[in-house]
Amino acid sequence: MANLKEIQRQIKSVSNTQKTTRAMKLVSTAKLRRAQELASRSRLFAEKTNQVIAEIALRIKCQKVGGIESRAFVEIDTPQMVDIIFVTADKGLCGGFNMQTIKAVRKLMDELKEKKTKVRLRGVGKKGIEFFKYNEIELMDAVRDLSSAPDMQRSAEFIRTSIEDFYDGKIDGVYIVYNGYLNALTQKLHVERVLPINVDGYDCDEDKESMLEIEAEDNEKMLNSLIEKYVEYNMYYALIDSVAAEHSARMQAMDAATNNAKEMVKTLNVKFNKARQESITTELIEIISGVESMK
Amino acid sequence: METLKLEVITPSGAIYDGLALSVTLPGDEGEFGVLPHHATLTTLLKTGVIDIEKEDKTVESVVVNWGVVQVDEAKVVVLVDGAVAIRGENESDIAQALDEAKTLIHDISDSNIAIASVSAKLESAAQKLF
Repeated sequence: MANLKEIQRQIKSVSNTQKTTRAMKLVSTAKLRRAQELASRSRLFAEKTNQVIAEIALRIKCQKVGGIESRAFVEIDTPQMVDIIFVTADKGLCGGFNMQTIKAVRKLMDELKEKKTKVRLRGVGKKGIEFFKYNEIELMDAVRDLSSAPDMQRSAEFIRTSIEDFYDGKIDGVYIVYNGYLNALTQKLHVERVLPINVDGYDCDEDKESMLEIEAEDNEKMLNSLIEKYVEYNMYYALIDSVAAEHSARMQAMDAATNNAKEMVKTLNVKFNKARQESITTELIEIISGVESMK
Repeated sequence: METLKLEVITPSGAIYDGLALSVTLPGDEGEFGVLPHHATLTTLLKTGVIDIEKEDKTVESVVVNWGVVQVDEAKVVVLVDGAVAIRGENESDIAQALDEAKTLIHDISDSNIAIASVSAKLESAAQKLF
């Protein structure tokens, strides 16, 4: 009988868990919709800004427009020190979402280490920060509560240190690592170098058509202002995209958990029925054998 | 009439995406107008008002605080930080948009001259709508 009670208790506890995970899934679904909308509205702006920047960068690189000495457009072959900014969630229970980002950061760090480049880590999001703290890897900066509620102002303030240090020559590159939203089922890991501006994906030949004129004299100010916005915006977009991805990951993880719980309740039910039948049989046998012995 | 394709994009989405006859932009070095087939250029915008002449010849005003514009022969792409379009179904909508626009420029610009000139333009744009 004790066994029966034990199984019943287990069934109850698993179905309670199932309720919780289902509720969490529903919450994530609702939040995902909002985050997704925000991300898709911002995507356009991000794409256009990147296009404008890439076109200018390409022009400077391909046509060797003289006089523009902004560091942002110069490839640095042997960077001494770079910033890696990673964005993780503040909360767990979202499958491999945070771990993927952390792994990507570690991989990037290893790659840079081989090139003898020093790394400054700047973290956004509690989970990533905790991981690196636990592993005793030093973080230069740790910001919480930003990845769950992206804010243009705060993200701009956060990234400004990196931009300024880049212009001052303290660092030679800025990377942003985050897990972005692809669709409700998949997340896409982004490892992006925002400074100096990356023009790897573009070809000089493609650009011949463009009539864009760049003159060195009056464009320094414009470029700097544009670059600053570009980096700030990329940071902000990384945060928004990461929130959407976090919710989609959590939705998936919670869906899987609910299904697992359902499975488990099923097997436990079978086990319970078996045990019940067993106990009935034993009782019957006891009665029958009692009657038999009375004859 | 020939038209150009105009996109005004803010971080929270496009506020204008369509055809226009001409557009006047508050460039960093002074106001300039763009007609179809304008030569390619990329420049900064300062706090001010973008006037869009739409296909039906009505003018729509958009207040911006900072921006970059990329013009080529067929297309004008304006990337702005914050923008408020002065439009609405009725007077109270327009008045609300006007208020929003004023807060936007007051937040950003620290020079009184800029605020004054933009405010004046705003008022005149609003006058036409009422």
